[in-house]
Amino acid sequence: MSNLALVSTLVFVAITAFLSIRKKLGLEKDILIGTVRSALQLLFIGYVLHFVFDTRNPVFIVLILLSMIGIAAWNAGSRAREIRGIRLRIAITLACTEGLTMALLLGFSIIEPTPQYIIPVSGIVIGSSMIVAGIYLNQMKRELEASRGEVETLLALGGTAKQAIQGAVKRSVRSSMIPTIDGMKTVGLVQLPGMMTGMIVAGADPIEAVRYQMLIMFVLASSAALTAILLSQISYRLWFTKDVRLVQSPKQDTKS
Amino acid sequence: MAPLLSMNRISKRRPDKAREWLFDDITAAIDKGERVALLGASGTGKSTLLRIAALLEPIDDGELHLEGIAQISFKPEHWRKKISYVAQAPVMLAGTVEQNLRTASELHGTLFDEPLARRCMAEAELGHLDWKKPAAELSGGEKQRTALVRSLLLRPAMLLLDETTSSLDPTSKEAVEHMLNRWAEREGTAMAWITHDMEQSRSVSDQIWFMGDGKLLERGDTKAFFQGPSTEQARRFIQKPIEREAGGNE
Repeated sequence: MSNLALVSTLVFVAITAFLSIRKKLGLEKDILIGTVRSALQLLFIGYVLHFVFDTRNPVFIVLILLSMIGIAAWNAGSRAREIRGIRLRIAITLACTEGLTMALLLGFSIIEPTPQYIIPVSGIVIGSSMIVAGIYLNQMKRELEASRGEVETLLALGGTAKQAIQGAVKRSVRSSMIPTIDGMKTVGLVQLPGMMTGMIVAGADPIEAVRYQMLIMFVLASSAALTAILLSQISYRLWFTKDVRLVQSPKQDTKS
Repeated sequence: MAPLLSMNRISKRRPDKAREWLFDDITAAIDKGERVALLGASGTGKSTLLRIAALLEPIDDGELHLEGIAQISFKPEHWRKKISYVAQAPVMLAGTVEQNLRTASELHGTLFDEPLARRCMAEAELGHLDWKKPAAELSGGEKQRTALVRSLLLRPAMLLLDETTSSLDPTSKEAVEHMLNRWAEREGTAMAWITHDMEQSRSVSDQIWFMGDGKLLERGDTKAFFQGPSTEQARRFIQKPIEREAGGNE
């Protein structure tokens, strides 16, 4: 893409800003910040990737993956920031999901062990798992508002924390996996995923692009399941106090 | 011998105004098989006190002991298996009536005593109920009695009953009172009832605990309490049935 073409993309920002001003949405400042941040962040990661691809030093790959996991854990954890220790649990979950997925992809030689493959695929896995973790936490908060009576009834009957919360956990795990599974059902018919689109735009054969997209879809399904189940198992105790009472009603996170 | 449950200087702050006490310095004990009616106006913290005894609510000060052993030495689930709270608003778990009745045995990996469950349901006038029916479809009164039987099948050493007959018609209420009295006799289960029904408190208790002004104002024999309460607050309380019945869960 030429520099002129790149600069021309600002026309889309102008449309957004124009509509915001015209309709008095008051979003101009956010649009400006969003534009500048996305441009800077993408340029930054572009140069970082350029450097890492050149040096091919595994230390840099690990550093990038760790920072992805850290940022994703911090972001997903803000869905339940009143639950102490949740960010650490999310980070552990994302690291395990990423580690297992990469081990399988590399172990079966599905992708090549080069930064060009490892970093983008990891980004997709960690990003998608972050969303799954966020949905899971939001759903758990809703569950524990709505099903407080159920949990307390089971506690009053001598149930352990795990027994008392398992219904809510199961429903939340299901909810957090549904968007990924629904995405599998409609991919190609409703939406053309970014990776496939990017490959086609960059000149790849559409069939080759589709093969990679299939890989990504299946990887996303397993990483959603791994993330939701692992996070639910290592974090269920955090919803209770030390003496196994439910923590006081956390405020609902209204952000979608 | 140590009492079944003893509460030593229990204090609880108001949830809305943390500087004020809901009640403080409550010291009381219940022996095995003893039946206590907990009386007091709305908002005096009766439900909170029972929930504290069931470890469903934290205390701000004081200690609980079960058979002389400090609460801190118990795993919460072991404590709650012995001292079980039955909420005023019954919560039916997902599934059928039978699945609800089986809850305690499934939680604890014990055999489900079906004949006992059938007998209890019949005594609670629910003998006609189809056990395959989804529990969510039961009426309010049926849910309240099913929840009660579900807790009985846990066979706790003590039951904490929070207005457990509040949704029942007079006939069902009487049936439940008889069932619980028989159960206490047979199993030696201690019971603490919250009730706003003076007739009920006379028939289901050996002891009355009367709460008011943030204290446990009276604690004594049921007959003696109704013959002549020793505090002015209790006297007024007994004489004002209308205000009392308007009271709800606190």
